[in-house]
Amino acid sequence: MAKHKGRGIATIEYPTGMNQNGDPSQAWVKLKPDGRVDVFSGTVDIGQGSRTVHTQIVADTLGVPFDWVTNDNTNTDSSAVCTGSFASRGTFIGGNAVRFAAEQARERILDIASKELEIAPGDLDIVEGEVVAKGAPDRKIGIPEVAAAATWNYGELITGTGAALKPYADVSDDDGSVEIEPHSAISYAACVAEVEVDDETGEVTVERLIQVYDVGRAINPTLVEGQIEGGAMMGLGLGLLEEAYPYYPAPDHRGGEFGAYLAPALEDLPDVDNLIIENPSEDGPFGAKAIGEMANNAQPPAIVSAIYDAVGVWVTQMPATPERVLRALDGEKEPRREGKRVIFDDQLSIRTVSSAGGKGFFETDG
Amino acid sequence: MRLTVNGEPRDLHSPPLTSLLTALREELEITSPKAGCHQGGCGACTVLVDGEARRSCLLPLAAVDGAAITTLEGLGTSDNLSSVQAAFDEHYAAQCGFCTSGFIMAATALIDRTPKASREDILTALSGHVCRCTGYIKIVSAVEAAAKGDVHPERVEPSFEPEEAEVLIPGSPA
Ligand code: FES
Ligand code: FES
Repeated sequence: MAKHKGRGIATIEYPTGMNQNGDPSQAWVKLKPDGRVDVFSGTVDIGQGSRTVHTQIVADTLGVPFDWVTNDNTNTDSSAVCTGSFASRGTFIGGNAVRFAAEQARERILDIASKELEIAPGDLDIVEGEVVAKGAPDRKIGIPEVAAAATWNYGELITGTGAALKPYADVSDDDGSVEIEPHSAISYAACVAEVEVDDETGEVTVERLIQVYDVGRAINPTLVEGQIEGGAMMGLGLGLLEEAYPYYPAPDHRGGEFGAYLAPALEDLPDVDNLIIENPSEDGPFGAKAIGEMANNAQPPAIVSAIYDAVGVWVTQMPATPERVLRALDGEKEPRREGKRVIFDDQLSIRTVSSAGGKGFFETDG
Repeated sequence: MRLTVNGEPRDLHSPPLTSLLTALREELEITSPKAGCHQGGCGACTVLVDGEARRSCLLPLAAVDGAAITTLEGLGTSDNLSSVQAAFDEHYAAQCGFCTSGFIMAATALIDRTPKASREDILTALSGHVCRCTGYIKIVSAVEAAAKGDVHPERVEPSFEPEEAEVLIPGSPA
């Protein structure tokens, strides 16, 4: 009876940025007469930071300081439509909507600045809130002056609208088959887990997680890291603790009370090392893909392979509870088939999704 | 019943077995303590009762008659954060924020009692507080920074309120 250390790795690829058709996000950007910027978008910030990220995208697209931009996503009645914060789409789809809106507003700013400066819009750039002539940096006009000129001299509201929508799939008239470009952005990630397994109690402790995430462009690295860290603990929970069974799919699958569902606590906190890889996407705002959902996918398989490294058995059902680890250790005493490790689990394998109604694998007489 | 809530005497008319959490939220409309589980398991409802971090969902009003209660509202303001609040802000220790006031109250009580709290002290004091978003990591670093006095409240910028720009409006009738 002893404690064993092990290390495992898992890699994933994840379709981030909304991988199906439909589900639009819209945004509207306008300038106040003093040059400050209002953004109206519907993307809900549930703590992931989309409001900050969208504000950054607008500020950088326009070329104004972050502080000038107010992002109002609080009025569900009058705000532009966003179908929601899901499918890792906040930065990719919602972010593109605000980017397109800001690009339009930027063009209006350049047009009006061009009239004021008498320089063609194509020869102008916006730097830190000022429209500057390329190659002649002393020929410039502040965006507050441009916005004021639009309002009071030209009778115009500088504004832009944007919308991002994954194109709908073509459904074939012949056979109803559907063809669609599969994903918005593919992200890649890897996780190494270091665990300690107690072969007497079956308890697994995750001591360290080393995680690498490709997010396209980390528009806000602190927010990205926050999601990676949060995902680490969620993944640890999925790997070791969290389970809806035996309730699921009964409607009372939530369990009777708070303590009936185990979520990772502070006591479970391992050392976590993170690395963010920027591998820009062609289509995302500033090359961004997403973090979102993929943040908790790599840890469970990494933990399970670390358990295998530690004690030489595979736990084939998540989460790897002490009971399952002990059962796996018991099973290991069984002879292997022709000396090979072959995994067949009576409960699990037979439930594998079948496109042939379950008849394909296991032919039955009836 | 009479409590001192964030320094002000308040008379409460909820029945004596009402939980302090419900009385604060529903009668006094002080909403920083959150009802995560209402059974003592999550820490989201934590407030200070005579300086001690307590789970307000488990305290009947009758048990705290006459006590001094401090909630998040009694710590700092957005222009003038308490050091623990400032540390949470600097370290980005909140995502959805549901657990945040509970963590901040527990950390405040810890640092009041143990000004040079170690990482171990912090993990012990905060254990039993559940956070589903942050993975706890930035929460622990925020509290470690607050315990070391390594916070810069003056750096905190009021968010989304850019200063009124002084603008010369050419051709304006104004
Ligand atoms: S609501 Fe009081 S501990 Fe959860
Ligand atoms: S920040 Fe969401 S639960 Fe802690």
